[in-house]
Amino acid sequence: MPLYSCNAAPGAISEDAKPKIAVDITRIHCDVTGAPPAFVHAFFFEDAPHQPLDGKKAFMFGSIRAGRTDAQKAQIIEEITASIHTHAGIPLEDIMMLTSDTPAKWVFEGGAVMPEPGEEAEWLAKHHHEPAD
Amino acid sequence: MIPCTCLVQEGQISSAIESALRSKLDGFAHEAFGVGVNINWIEVPKTGGFTASKPSTSSLVLIQAPVAVEQDKRAVLLGELCNGWASETGQTLNEVVGVISDPAAA
Repeated sequence: MPLYSCNAAPGAISEDAKPKIAVDITRIHCDVTGAPPAFVHAFFFEDAPHQPLDGKKAFMFGSIRAGRTDAQKAQIIEEITASIHTHAGIPLEDIMMLTSDTPAKWVFEGGAVMPEPGEEAEWLAKHHHEPAD
Repeated sequence: MIPCTCLVQEGQISSAIESALRSKLDGFAHEAFGVGVNINWIEVPKTGGFTASKPSTSSLVLIQAPVAVEQDKRAVLLGELCNGWASETGQTLNEVVGVISDPAAA
């Protein structure tokens, strides 16, 4: 967690664009929240029935740990939407993005219940989870 | 039946292991909550999964409990869930994310 799940119309996000957007997602999430990169998952789908496009070209849904401020969430949405626009060339009005809060205590990752936002360093030291570069 | 979503990387889990996981998840839910699971098995397309900006080998399993769960019990169940998944797939615990949510959050 977080999990950023992106559904898009077939061909709307190229193979070249996906890793670039994933890098941006990781950077944006970590810059805004202070979370370590190791926690950030970005998954891309095409025409996935579990995440209807509702007339858009791309729909990004971010499941993030509860405790982020409205301003942080707004910044994440603005910057990730801009990344999709930049790398995939999809007009901003054809991109939808939402976030949903998940309590950290509901999530188990790296062999332990996840830390509350802001408690990651102690958690990482305790559980020897290796953050990514 | 309670909802269970499994997100796995395409090609990472064989059909035989998928079948074993489905059975194990149903058994887990019966043991933990007294009900079976309705599994939505979703494969992340190859080249579409990233963790920490790198190609992902992570699996996520999300179960919605039928009733609110005390945190002490949830922590134990999460450990059982993720350890059971890892033992079946050979993945490390760093590659397995488990979520047990309360029903109100669905």
